[in-house]
Amino acid sequence: MSTSLAITNARLVDPASGHDGPGGVLIEDGVIAQTGNELDLDAADEIIDAKGRILAPALIDLRCAKEPALTPDGETIDTLCAAAMSGGFGTIVLAPNARSPLDKADGFAGMSRGLNQRSVRILSACGATQGLAGEQMAEIGLMVRGGAVYAGQGDRPIADTALMRRLVSYTSQFDIWLACRPADAGLSRGSVAMESDWSARMGLPSEPAVSERIAIERDAALAELSGGKLMIDRLSTAAGLDALRHVRSRDLEIAATVAVAHLTLNEVDAGGLDSAFRLDPPLRGESDRLTLVEAVTAGEIDAVVSDHRPTPFDDKADPFALAMAGTLSLETMLGAMLGLVHEGELELIDALRVMTSGPADLLGLPQGRIAVGAPADLILIDGDKPWVCQPDGFASARGNSAWAGRRFQGRVLQTIVSGDTLYNP
Amino acid sequence: MSRAEFSYDFPHRHLLSVADLNPVDIQIIFERAAHYLAANRTPDKRTDVLRGLTVLNLFFEASTRTQGSFEMAGKRLGADVVNFAVAHSSASKGESLSDTARTLAAMKPDIMVVRHSATGAPQFLADRTGLSVVNAGDGMHEHPTQALLDSFTLAQRWGSVGGRRILIVGDILHSRVARSNIGLLNILGAEIRLCAPPTLLPSDVDQWGCDVFHDLDEALKGCDAVMALRQQRERMSGGFVPSEREFFHLFGLTHERLEAASPDVLVMHPGPMNRGVEIHTKLADDPERSVILEQVESGVAVRMAILELIGANIRKEASA
Repeated sequence: MSTSLAITNARLVDPASGHDGPGGVLIEDGVIAQTGNELDLDAADEIIDAKGRILAPALIDLRCAKEPALTPDGETIDTLCAAAMSGGFGTIVLAPNARSPLDKADGFAGMSRGLNQRSVRILSACGATQGLAGEQMAEIGLMVRGGAVYAGQGDRPIADTALMRRLVSYTSQFDIWLACRPADAGLSRGSVAMESDWSARMGLPSEPAVSERIAIERDAALAELSGGKLMIDRLSTAAGLDALRHVRSRDLEIAATVAVAHLTLNEVDAGGLDSAFRLDPPLRGESDRLTLVEAVTAGEIDAVVSDHRPTPFDDKADPFALAMAGTLSLETMLGAMLGLVHEGELELIDALRVMTSGPADLLGLPQGRIAVGAPADLILIDGDKPWVCQPDGFASARGNSAWAGRRFQGRVLQTIVSGDTLYNP
Repeated sequence: MSRAEFSYDFPHRHLLSVADLNPVDIQIIFERAAHYLAANRTPDKRTDVLRGLTVLNLFFEASTRTQGSFEMAGKRLGADVVNFAVAHSSASKGESLSDTARTLAAMKPDIMVVRHSATGAPQFLADRTGLSVVNAGDGMHEHPTQALLDSFTLAQRWGSVGGRRILIVGDILHSRVARSNIGLLNILGAEIRLCAPPTLLPSDVDQWGCDVFHDLDEALKGCDAVMALRQQRERMSGGFVPSEREFFHLFGLTHERLEAASPDVLVMHPGPMNRGVEIHTKLADDPERSVILEQVESGVAVRMAILELIGANIRKEASA
């Protein structure tokens, strides 16, 4: 059955083309057939008048997690999908982490195919080393054949420089990104906070900001030597950004992501030692945050990631230094990013770029843009609607949100993937 | 082209590297090897061309086939062949290589066939002892007789290897066989392709005069011969590939994959083979494709040719 949907009179924001102005789209058979102000509305089965609303590509997240299969009362693929839809995501990528290392080639292709049948597009990355232990390479080649879109290492940096060199080199033959958290293994071991006046006063095991710089410089030097594609998986400090600028002056393929938490929160938020703010990488200083926001505007950050991580209630109920790291983020990421726009720290188109065409281009995906022929993965946003973040109302079975209680302005009204409306409360 | 057409004699009294050979030297070796290949198939294999000469097999690394091949070659030529399994003797008692060499040289052998784990050890022994040395493999550097027997095997099938497209696939980083083959095939004018994961390629491989591939199906296109190499675990520290299974999926030779190659493609392996890792077991045993046993047979003939030519130069020097 052929269906067509037109969305008219919107403020169309498409970072890929740089367009921010009046416009609309005509969707036919799940693909964008026309864009602009002069759509052929006679052909449309349904017309949405989006006056006063923002029409943008559906969001893309390169880094989220679900809880391991069979976790009691855990977040499942269903709740993850529901969270993604209500957060405005059309595509999400499951990234490896310590609880779900995604490092087994057996069954990987089957898992990928299963994820593919979901309404939200779910892709999977694979673990770079066995158990993410940083000792033996995982069967990356077989997992790439099974559909893995990049290889990652979770929160664990690779201590062994020779292994890191081999990984950069080995992954280069598949033309995939090797995503590594920029942290020096020795300097970061056991740390739960950044080295600062606050963490010193609190007596928290902490990591100096140069840990990030050392890792970026080392890994970039290895990529230069061996010719791989390096993804700086969650830049979080100004020192790290300096290092990134420095290594980018060389002819290297280096991408950088930032987690939304590091653009919208800082260590002061964790001041009360609330475990909800126990994150990896840890929250940084306000100057780090501001520097990273400027880097988004400057186009130095390729993608902002949700780093969505549901954690069991019991594991979050520990004191700050013992609690499991991570926050739910899919349902609040757009709100948090729009907060930066309302504060005047970021332009809307720049905020959307790192959540749409930026990540799409890293993985070579056709979505993430409003262009004729592209998949009709779109969102309609009310840019001003006020709401309060209440984890009880989340689609996720968990409640560990670092934004709980925060007031947001701007919310997703409708999420469309492949022309199908998945979310329209 | 026969030897008589050149007023040129094989000039070497060592075989340390394929780089020392020119195309005519190689032609001379192949010509004599062809003679011995035929002779070795008769009951009258034995000649006396090396009678009176002593060949010392000095293997500092364990070897079965190469040492056996050299031993058989020397004996068939009438030489006295002595095997020194150095791994179990003086070296383990702390004697330096230099002292071992001088001690053995004092016993007045004529040719030393040397295998050692260190690059340059055969050259070192040649310099220190003044004896003729044949390199039977030094570290990850060279294995010239293997390269000669590989090209000889192909030349027996094709007449000449010049202009043919030959692929070497597998652990090139740790392989002396690959280094010698690349050197020799370049001299002979073959088109060389290499295929391996980036972790098993040397860092300057783009300057070796070969086309480099990471995708075996792409690399196999139009190839006339393909040589599989085993992963040299004994020279590796840590894992260069995730698993043997993944290696086979990405770089293992199978009948199916060979369909991209030339219809008469030949499959080679210097041995020992790891079936199911670099080569499918059915392919290794397919007489239509595999010349692996022909390589072994050629090995004895080529080594006879080399010992004969070097022996002749030793006599010439002695009488001069």
